[in-house]
Amino acid sequence: MPIYAPTLPPSPDLHLGQPPALVIMRFDLARLWRQKIGRFFGFTFVAILLVKVGWIYGKYLMDTNQSLRPLQQFAQAILTQGAEFQAGLLNPAMYLLWFLVALVGGGLVARDTLYRVRPLMYAHPVAPRDYLLAKLGFASLLPFAILLPFAILPWLMSLLLAGTSGPVWVTAPLRLLPAMAVSSLLMGAIAVGASSMAATPRAGIGWVLGLVLGAGTLASMIHGLTGIQAVEGLNPVLLAEAWPQLMTGVERPLVTWLPTLLGTAFHIGLWTFVAARRTRPSEAVI
Amino acid sequence: MIAFENLEVRYLATAAPALKGLTLSLESGIVGLLGPNGAGKSTLLKALLGLLTPSRGSGTVLGVPLGAPEAAKLRSRIGYMPEYDALIEDASAYEQVAFWGELSGLAPEAARDRAHEVLYFVGLDESRYRPVSGYSTGMRQRVKLAQALVHSPELIFLDEPTNGLDPDGRRRMLDLVLRVHAELGTGVILASHLLGDVERVADQLVILDQGQIKAAGSMAGLRKALARRVELRFLDPLDAAQEAAMADLGTLLEGRNGLYDLELAEADPAGIFRWAQARGATLVQVTPRHDRLDEVLLRALHPTVAEV
Repeated sequence: MPIYAPTLPPSPDLHLGQPPALVIMRFDLARLWRQKIGRFFGFTFVAILLVKVGWIYGKYLMDTNQSLRPLQQFAQAILTQGAEFQAGLLNPAMYLLWFLVALVGGGLVARDTLYRVRPLMYAHPVAPRDYLLAKLGFASLLPFAILLPFAILPWLMSLLLAGTSGPVWVTAPLRLLPAMAVSSLLMGAIAVGASSMAATPRAGIGWVLGLVLGAGTLASMIHGLTGIQAVEGLNPVLLAEAWPQLMTGVERPLVTWLPTLLGTAFHIGLWTFVAARRTRPSEAVI
Repeated sequence: MIAFENLEVRYLATAAPALKGLTLSLESGIVGLLGPNGAGKSTLLKALLGLLTPSRGSGTVLGVPLGAPEAAKLRSRIGYMPEYDALIEDASAYEQVAFWGELSGLAPEAARDRAHEVLYFVGLDESRYRPVSGYSTGMRQRVKLAQALVHSPELIFLDEPTNGLDPDGRRRMLDLVLRVHAELGTGVILASHLLGDVERVADQLVILDQGQIKAAGSMAGLRKALARRVELRFLDPLDAAQEAAMADLGTLLEGRNGLYDLELAEADPAGIFRWAQARGATLVQVTPRHDRLDEVLLRALHPTVAEV
């Protein structure tokens, strides 16, 4: 038998709250952490980061310890420590990030569709652009936040241990952060667009993987048939990797500037448009 | 509370209107919105929430014009309890009620405090930390009511609040609806196809069908307007002349053995006694035949069938 309160006091002031997009993003983050997948990926990325930072420290030891001189000479022979090394700071995390974005982002909109929560959000003072901004922001900020330590910590460690002559360029963050931002936005847009087309989170994961792998396969096929390398600009995986390469000035990037710009704009524009169309209030059945 | 004039809503510019020129004014209270499936109840609620822009006509909700830029902010003054579940299954009742409170404009800490209060108000105090996926139907309905009340709205829309509840659960939910209005002073629009529910709590009634208002007004007034049936019992059966003279009172529906079912032309019971005295008939009993709401609804929707 339920116990009811004698009465309900008046509500506090309604105008002290946070913007709706931020509220939705915070709720999604709490929801992600509650799921085991969030914890799994959290620990995995921390492990990768530790390896990366450990590598820098190892490099420092080799540089300063005479007994390790032969090892140092060997390392210098096989590591260029040029632009490719700088761009490669992000690489170990990229593939795993795509899986994380598929697993988390695939359910972002689809879960709301499944539970029919979106129409109820629109019955609150939440505009469709708030909703889209929240989902796109969360799906983009998640990979960005994960990549951030990969760009900053090795740079910081290199700077502290070896000064400006360390293996990581002093200007590396200035080059990597914008590249990470664009790559993360690309990942987020594809995830949210794909998720908006799905009716369940599982279907959303399938949609993200299908779009990413499908676009890549299509681009490779056309490239193979026509020999035009620029078509690889349709491949989201290559695009995400190409941005750090282009920004650090890698001599032979996976995709050159123009196809990368066009391909990135195409994917972000298309999937944001799809998500906006699929999350309109008129799609909300009350 | 709500007023609209010649309100027309179309889902597509080329499609037939879902609401066809509705004109109505509703005072604060508990308003029952009745109608069969596809009558336009949900479309009306969407339009009142500002989710659909009227293709014609005008209206105001809590003084804010429909379609105005500030209509989005108006939604922080309205609570909405949808017909379908709309619950975040992997979150507890507490988490999601606090979330809806924040979306309505409450600060995070205030929303958390408020979630406790409102869940206690709807009788979910003890189970508020459990994921709602394990809740019974009655508890789920109460979570939906709690999220509609968390920001102390001036007006709430309840869409089929007793769906799927057993008689005891229905009674408790309707008691809560009555408390919401009586104690909090919140206006209530209750859309339901369960006529008994509306009859129990509403003091105003709107009957919708095919996008049009078939009847609207206070519950008592509607009954009075739509149903003036009385049963008259005379000491002796009336003769043919007396029966024919009954046309002065209204329409004779059925009569035998001194018992007559009559639909009065005017709601004037005293007139029956004057008529009996003038015609020399000994009237021993007048029983008002208050129609149940389902009869009122049936008459409003299908007047010819009901009269047959």
